[in-house]
Amino acid sequence: MLAAALGLARAGLRAAARPAVLLHARFEGSSTTETRPTVRPKDEVAQNQLCAFGEYVAEILPKYIQQVQVTCFNELEIFIHPDGIVPILTFLRDHTNAQFKSLADLTAIDVPTRQYRFEIVYNLLSLRFNSRIRVKTYTDELTPVDSAVSVHQAANWYEREVWDMYGIFFANHPDLRRILTDYGFEGHPFRKDFPLSGYVEIIVLNFPSRSVSTGKKE
Amino acid sequence: MAGALKKTTGLVGLAVAENPHEHLRILYTKILAALQDIPKDAAYRKYTEQIVNERFNMVKTEPNVQKLEDKMKSGQIEEVIIQAESELSLARKMAQWKPWEPLVEEPPTDQWRWPI
Repeated sequence: MLAAALGLARAGLRAAARPAVLLHARFEGSSTTETRPTVRPKDEVAQNQLCAFGEYVAEILPKYIQQVQVTCFNELEIFIHPDGIVPILTFLRDHTNAQFKSLADLTAIDVPTRQYRFEIVYNLLSLRFNSRIRVKTYTDELTPVDSAVSVHQAANWYEREVWDMYGIFFANHPDLRRILTDYGFEGHPFRKDFPLSGYVEIIVLNFPSRSVSTGKKE
Repeated sequence: MAGALKKTTGLVGLAVAENPHEHLRILYTKILAALQDIPKDAAYRKYTEQIVNERFNMVKTEPNVQKLEDKMKSGQIEEVIIQAESELSLARKMAQWKPWEPLVEEPPTDQWRWPI
């Protein structure tokens, strides 16, 4: 009896953690069927604000900005010439109307069919104005690109990762070396022409702990 | 005036500024001087002068720090000082980079096409 009461109390506590409404709603039959399509409602205000800011930035920096667009998910994207990386990132960080102090992400995309196959993407966040912006540049395998470390310290390891995975060289980077691949690894794994299971087979031994290459090459 | 200093900004590493009006006045004058090196028709000069003059007037007319912060609506006065310092360094760099010139180089035709 006592055990049952304790069990009930425990179950009661657990059920109370979830709101009671959820427990009922799960097994309710559908009395009215929903006919509206499940698409995100258009947020005109945010879209207009982002468009206005995009035009503002494009007006101030026409030397480097090639294109500005606002996606349907209300994301502002700026496409720039690679010479303009440091000027544009410094502008976005320092200008009073921008203040994108936080570099959220730095990545690259490989599209082998293009003349400049790599596209470098910077995602910035403004804490003052609670808004995000994406800056995109391009380069090919042999052209170095200016490092963003002088503008955002956070770019340090991100650029090391892009170098390791894609082979994009960042000029003026303080310490550009491999960060994710093994020590003697050859190749840049995220490129589209690098095969999924790589070129060399490796056996990982636990006792003694070491990894041995079998020498078998694909 | 000196006795009305707030205890703390609430932000780590940001000390309370004594005499922020003086500090801001110097910074805004320097920014306006740095903007003189930029051609008059450049959009950056136009917009930055607008922002700086607006804030400068607010600093000149409002002696109380708390009311000045509310008028500017840009966080604490210490943060406003930091914004002015970054704007100053940016204005000096912009005079070097000259970003108001026309586009440096057009991208290849399908560079920004998505989906490919």
